[in-house]
Amino acid sequence: MYGFEALTFNIHGGYLEAIVRGHRSGLLTAADYNNLCQCETLDDIKMHLTATEYGPYLQNEPSPLHTTTIVEKCTLKLVDEYKHMLCQATEPLSIFLEYCTYGHMIDNVVLIVTGTLHERDVQELLEKCHPLGMFDSIATLAVAQNMRELYRLVLVDTPLAPYFSECITSEDLDDMNIEIMRNTLYKAYLEDFYRFCQKLGGATAEIMSDLLAFEADRRAVNITINSIGTELTRDDRRKLYSNFGLLYPYGHEELAVCEDLDQVRGVMEKYPPYQSIFSRLSYGESQLLDKAFYEEEVKRLCLSFEQQFHYAVFFAYMRLREQEIRNLMWISECVAQNQKSRVHDSVVFIF
Amino acid sequence: MEEEKKEIDFEIGMKQNQELKLEEEPQQQQKQVGDEHVLRFLDSVDNYLTLFESLSCTLRQGWLELVSARHSMGASRVNSSLLDLKVHSASTSLQVTPDIVDSMEEQPHFILRKWGSLYDGKCSYEDQNSKVDGLQGKSGSPLPRHRGKPQLSEEISPKQAPLMVDDQVQKKRSRSLSVFGTLVSPQLRAAQLSFETALETLVEIANMRSTMLSTFNGVHKELGVAKEIR
Repeated sequence: MYGFEALTFNIHGGYLEAIVRGHRSGLLTAADYNNLCQCETLDDIKMHLTATEYGPYLQNEPSPLHTTTIVEKCTLKLVDEYKHMLCQATEPLSIFLEYCTYGHMIDNVVLIVTGTLHERDVQELLEKCHPLGMFDSIATLAVAQNMRELYRLVLVDTPLAPYFSECITSEDLDDMNIEIMRNTLYKAYLEDFYRFCQKLGGATAEIMSDLLAFEADRRAVNITINSIGTELTRDDRRKLYSNFGLLYPYGHEELAVCEDLDQVRGVMEKYPPYQSIFSRLSYGESQLLDKAFYEEEVKRLCLSFEQQFHYAVFFAYMRLREQEIRNLMWISECVAQNQKSRVHDSVVFIF
Repeated sequence: MEEEKKEIDFEIGMKQNQELKLEEEPQQQQKQVGDEHVLRFLDSVDNYLTLFESLSCTLRQGWLELVSARHSMGASRVNSSLLDLKVHSASTSLQVTPDIVDSMEEQPHFILRKWGSLYDGKCSYEDQNSKVDGLQGKSGSPLPRHRGKPQLSEEISPKQAPLMVDDQVQKKRSRSLSVFGTLVSPQLRAAQLSFETALETLVEIANMRSTMLSTFNGVHKELGVAKEIR
């Protein structure tokens, strides 16, 4: 019953909520980012990060550092924290935490299948997979020739199995089919996650509905913009949009027929939460759209911590950490390429 | 007598002046030619340095756009392990032809064959039109032809040909980018264009360097001839 979570939540979730709130206080602040943006070399960045919670993960890395090394080690920290929380969690929190990683699992499946199609070594592909999305039989993906085999040989025993019902065909895997598979899987995953959160009810349902609806809307906009000028038909584009969110269903109908960014802007400006995002962009500009969406997402994720006794804080923490890792990746690349003037183009401050 | 002497001296002086003028004319001409070579050399050096600067800016922009694409799409979608190792023909190749300069010297000339069309930094729409037939043969898909009324010309109109070429080039660009997926962000497409521009600039640099070396040789020869005359 909504409003009475305080009576029972702490029995099973109190410890982990305290843990995740402690982890949240370790996120980098604006002062940390200002110091990092002034670094001249990657070794300077490593030195600054050694003084943060990333210290134990980076201090033993030898010079010269590479930007991918910084990202890998920072991701390891998130993975360790997640695994600790997962092993301490009971149902339904453990199921909720597993849902938070299915997106990475889908990315890993597509990476292995695409790389195999391009005749890449499986071991090399496994090294590039996100650690949060790993599962036991992932290496067997390289054997499959079409989606039916993919499902039958490997994915039937994974949590992604229910999402495959919409895209099982005997067609051989090619670049377009793989892209449609990726987006269809992600759509099914988001809808399933949304239904699960609705079943949980209470504050979790309310806050997660807002966060997942924003994710679905952002996906719809990205799919629209990325498919402009490609062979993806309007019907196929419409099928990739999720069946929930603020834009569902009328916004999706309008987005499906957009042919350029200005038409997308015209559709999105009818929705007040997105009007503020698009009003910051000048006409024809798409580069700052990602940053604007990330800023809006961070604002919503931070707000979720204002309320207690719900699971959305776990989702929010993981997303904030991923945003932090994206920031560190961007800063490292700008420093490595000696383009510090552009460092503030994509850094999103969390606090 | 004295007047006759003066007249003779005047005539001798006039003859000497004329001889001097005849000697100076080829020297002046030679000096003008030498100045022209030096000016051409300096122009080519200036263009060479400008092109280098332009290449540096374009590459910096391209690399940042690539990072921006990684930031937007995620590291699992934009990484080197997705590049295609299957055997396939190059979409871009370089053709080197000897160019005869001043009917004496051979100077290499570089032409970039990009997406199946020719580019040497000076390609006009007329050149693109003449390449359309070549593209038609290479792509394997016939271009649409007008049918029906005899008033309608069966030749491709000047406006349609560049559009068709652009369309095919756009398709080839998208196909080469499909290693990262078919729905890629605009930043990745912008990075592709930047690196394409950088490749074109490199070819221009190679041609400019060839011109620079050729004009330098010309200046060198002029200096050698000038020393011999002295």
